[in-house]
Amino acid sequence: MEGTEFDKTKIKVITGNSAAAHGAMLCRPEVLALYPITPQTEVVEEISKFHASGELDAEVVEVEGENSAMNIITAASAAGARAFTATSSYGLVYMYDALLQAAGYRVPVVMVNVNRETPGITAVSSGQQDMISTRDSGWIQIIASNCQEILDSVIMAYRLAEDFDIQVPVMVNYDGFYLSYLAEKVEIPGRAYVDGFLAPLKDQPQRPVLIPGQPTGFGTHGILEGYLELRYKHSIAMERAKAKFDEIDKAFEKDFGRSYGGQIETYRTEDADMVLVASGSLSGTAQKVIDLQREQGLKIGLIRLRMFRPFPRERLVEALRGKKAIGVIDRSICFGWNSGPMYVELRALSPEIGNVPMMSFIDGIANMDVSVANIERMVKIVQSASKGDSYQKVTWIGMEEG
Amino acid sequence: MIKKFQFREEAGWSHADEMLLCLDTGSWRVERPVLNKEKCNYCGLCALFCPTQCMVNMDDHFEPNFAFCKGCGICANECPRKALTMQTEGDA
Repeated sequence: MEGTEFDKTKIKVITGNSAAAHGAMLCRPEVLALYPITPQTEVVEEISKFHASGELDAEVVEVEGENSAMNIITAASAAGARAFTATSSYGLVYMYDALLQAAGYRVPVVMVNVNRETPGITAVSSGQQDMISTRDSGWIQIIASNCQEILDSVIMAYRLAEDFDIQVPVMVNYDGFYLSYLAEKVEIPGRAYVDGFLAPLKDQPQRPVLIPGQPTGFGTHGILEGYLELRYKHSIAMERAKAKFDEIDKAFEKDFGRSYGGQIETYRTEDADMVLVASGSLSGTAQKVIDLQREQGLKIGLIRLRMFRPFPRERLVEALRGKKAIGVIDRSICFGWNSGPMYVELRALSPEIGNVPMMSFIDGIANMDVSVANIERMVKIVQSASKGDSYQKVTWIGMEEG
Repeated sequence: MIKKFQFREEAGWSHADEMLLCLDTGSWRVERPVLNKEKCNYCGLCALFCPTQCMVNMDDHFEPNFAFCKGCGICANECPRKALTMQTEGDA
């Protein structure tokens, strides 16, 4: 298409959902299958607008549910297409079997998941429990923290998923409500720049695709050793994805001037004694608290998890070794551990990090604000523990009196 | 040391012209259909009803492919002339 409104880079004030739709559209997906669900619906609307106006030259399938959406993009990807879908909460779990299938087939699809609490206690509200419920699905999981990062992460996600050394589907997560409907200044890169950023994928070997007239067995076999081999390869590909994501972040900075640190983003951690670990939209508030505490002379820093699967073990150990106390903020619950899931994962790194106090803070469940006051409260607990005082391992911030 | 991979690709792709994984599912069988050719009139109902479609046309009768026959006994049940009977595997 000649002379469209997205030829040139421009700055607009758009919502997180719109940023996700822009990111997807700019990557020129060929097949999209979408079903609306709060708080993701606007992604479907924006994609439909791009399709109607001709900006998006693709097959857009209106499905009767998310299970079909995932099956359609999986099949499209197996046939060689670049594919996209977006969902949230109930939609994510409604496609659960298809989600596992996409991962097992190693189709490099990209999906946006707008984080929302899961079924059971019907909550049309923010929380990361949906993403956490699919953590062992074999998908790569990325978490964005602002509208610009949502757009940029979708573009980076295609570069990661489709890399010949990876071939794993990527889920780009962002907080429902807090980011989905938040309008911010976003730089929308011109098409040619996105084309250029994704161009290296074309120089790679062709991944296997279904071709009419060429009989091929696909995804229907592999018991015993065959199954084991495919799981092994998948797991090793996930390990490779970590360094690859760091490389992609650097390449992105070169092309677009924005970097997010790759697997993790560190903020004032180098000389810090204490570190908070968080993810998603609350990281902005946490940064503010870090700045305020630094003014008071407290040596504290923040690590933001951008990648949850694969878990950035090596980068976290490097950033956390030698610290005196660590507090992890989770917007979801790891049942059976009475802790936050990210905290549980971080605890597994204790032998490498060192035997220092680690605390789990459960906050921001079902749209509860993770406020400056709440984070300051966490900092006090971490600070006290760093001095050797006894401490409570898990604190449900909103359940505490006072 | 990791073993040599069976699959050429990252995922479970197989190429019909070079590698098909054939599973000997006949090994699950407890009973096998045995044909009395004297009674068989080559009507083909056994082949028609066989759920795994493993009956091989021998021109004057049908014989199960025992690499796939699970021994379900439907052929013997459907045979109007009782030409097929089920016998326990392992018995002479």
